[in-house]
Amino acid sequence: MNIREKLNILGDAAKYDVSCSSSGSKRNSPQGGMGCGHSSGICHTWSADGRCISLLKVLFSNACKYDCAYCVNRRSNDIPRATFTPKELINLTLEFYRRNYIEGLFLSSAVIGTPDYTMELLIKVAKELRLVHHFGGYIHLKAIPGASSRLLFEAGLYADRSSVNIEIPSDKQLQYLAPEKNYDSIYRPMNFLAERKLEYKADKSKFSPKFLPAGQSTQMIVGASGETDLQILTLSAGFYKQQQMKRVYFSGYVPINADKRLPVITTKPPLLREHRLYQADWLMRFYKFEYNEILDEKNPFLDPDLDPKVMWALRHPECFPVDLQTADYEMILRVPGIGVRSAQLIVSGRRYSKIRLEHLKKMGVVLKRAKYFIYNSDVPPELHRLYPEMIRPLLVAKPKSDQLDLFDSMPAALPAPVTTQSKALPQSTVAQLQ
Amino acid sequence: MSIAIHYDSTFDGFLSAVFEIYRQHLDVSSFVAERSYETEGEIATDLFAQPFNIETSEDSARRLKRAISKAACSDVLSLLETCFRSETVGIEMGILAYLRKLFAGIEPNYGRNPSSLEMIPLITIARSVRREMDNMLGMVRFNKAPDGMYIAEIEPKYDILEMIVGHFRGRYPNGTWAIVDVKRGFGVYYENRRTHFVTIPDPSSIAAHAPPDQFTQMWKSYYDTMAIKERINPRLLRRCLPVRYWKHLPERSLGTFSSKPLPSTVAKENAFASLRLDVRR
Repeated sequence: MNIREKLNILGDAAKYDVSCSSSGSKRNSPQGGMGCGHSSGICHTWSADGRCISLLKVLFSNACKYDCAYCVNRRSNDIPRATFTPKELINLTLEFYRRNYIEGLFLSSAVIGTPDYTMELLIKVAKELRLVHHFGGYIHLKAIPGASSRLLFEAGLYADRSSVNIEIPSDKQLQYLAPEKNYDSIYRPMNFLAERKLEYKADKSKFSPKFLPAGQSTQMIVGASGETDLQILTLSAGFYKQQQMKRVYFSGYVPINADKRLPVITTKPPLLREHRLYQADWLMRFYKFEYNEILDEKNPFLDPDLDPKVMWALRHPECFPVDLQTADYEMILRVPGIGVRSAQLIVSGRRYSKIRLEHLKKMGVVLKRAKYFIYNSDVPPELHRLYPEMIRPLLVAKPKSDQLDLFDSMPAALPAPVTTQSKALPQSTVAQLQ
Repeated sequence: MSIAIHYDSTFDGFLSAVFEIYRQHLDVSSFVAERSYETEGEIATDLFAQPFNIETSEDSARRLKRAISKAACSDVLSLLETCFRSETVGIEMGILAYLRKLFAGIEPNYGRNPSSLEMIPLITIARSVRREMDNMLGMVRFNKAPDGMYIAEIEPKYDILEMIVGHFRGRYPNGTWAIVDVKRGFGVYYENRRTHFVTIPDPSSIAAHAPPDQFTQMWKSYYDTMAIKERINPRLLRRCLPVRYWKHLPERSLGTFSSKPLPSTVAKENAFASLRLDVRR
């Protein structure tokens, strides 16, 4: 098998991992080598499904010994299998990097032999890239559940980011769908790496080696096991707080295997739900929302018609309208239609002049949403007398009406004049018509 | 009669023009930048304005820069330069309007106010210039020439080549490479840890030196496999990766290569086949 076929197979096997970022690590090019880390990350291209490609995302091998129901690489699937040699993979990474195709390497693997053996292979690639080729680009290494802590520690020394995927948001469902895995085996490497990172952070000398400078991430499959959005957000809020995760990714379930434990294979991926979850995630990360403000026991699902920020605002009419001239930054952030950038502009600009509606428009505030929630002398006061129930239908996007077709209803309206035409038609056609 | 100012399209040239406007009390209606890559027909000229040529003077540009930093701050100066790089029609008048109000000194602290009506459009333009610059860091594609040099062609909307060179110098400090702005006939060449800016009269001939090789093809077929078929979304793709960049991205401009069946396709076909078997039973 040549290297291009291997790359295709192992790239294809890795594409269901949604983690894509190359951010969080600032690294200068090592002496005598090449490559640097760009702290905000760089997207290099976007694939046809609109997801960004920034790292060379491949599996080391897809010959897995596990049999997880949702996974394309599970043991019981009859699919083409391939395994790289470390040298092939290193060469490929360096050549792609030199051409500026990628920001670095995202290396994961199916479990071959034991978890320790697999982890050793991954580390070998990363170590050789860093120490032999003086590669300064981004390296994202998967931590294999069940690998020993000595290996996890070593991975942290060479990688910028590490991740263990939790995949299913409840332990019981996980053990049902992936019999070889459980929460303990997933949380253990996460906690271990988070603790080591804290230790390294405490030692602030500039000569101390870096340990996972870009932290950890994880991902959850959405729509495979009947979980609620509240469950998902609760879990991810815990990850941000306890394990100090940098990102939690959501992956709308794309059915690949026919399995009785999973939704039927013709299910469409829940893209809208995934989108709303990311919006909620953004609220927690950049807008200082708590997960229990976004959802609660009574409404455990996000609204498909409106984004979570608007939903929060409609549930809390007592907080609005907000006076942009005097309100706290935190409160301005909570106004629907105002983002982080415009909130900062408002706060720094209002010291010098009154903020008017035309300013807001030019700042990029979405007045279509914001006008119901702000107090401004330019906003007509009758908008503030609306109840949430009245605002809601104004904000929901109206369904597009179809273009009427002139000939759609013709046959019903006018019966076809068969009798008059039949004189002109040849006999055979008339026979067919009758 | 109002005046249309002709200058040499550099930022220093523009600042010298502003300097002269103040010194000679000129009544300006528009600016005309004389760019080498634009032909006569493309330059929009004002029929009713009198053309007025201004030579670039480093001294007056420096004096004006110092005045801007003093009246506002150095961040504003770099923001104005970023805006200027957008080469948008009428950007000079926008900057001039801001500078007039800044130097008039009517509003105290005008230079620090980011939400004044003159400043907000400039911030928006600077933001889109910076966005293209950030995107371009990832969208430069090098091809390897037989002599070991890496050559890339770009065609950005804004004049951002000089802004991205530092990034590539930090990334490939020991390599030999060149990035060519095809639209503006201008390139940067890096060798032995030195950067040289060069004008290139015939930029279209550069690509012939470095044809796509097997790694370009591997990249293209890898790129094709990475798309999940069930999620294909052409609108999102075009929003993230505008079509105007596709020409210089091998993954979008090369034709697809045939490849052997991929694991995900095989698995899905098998799943459907087993379903059909179940139904028959």
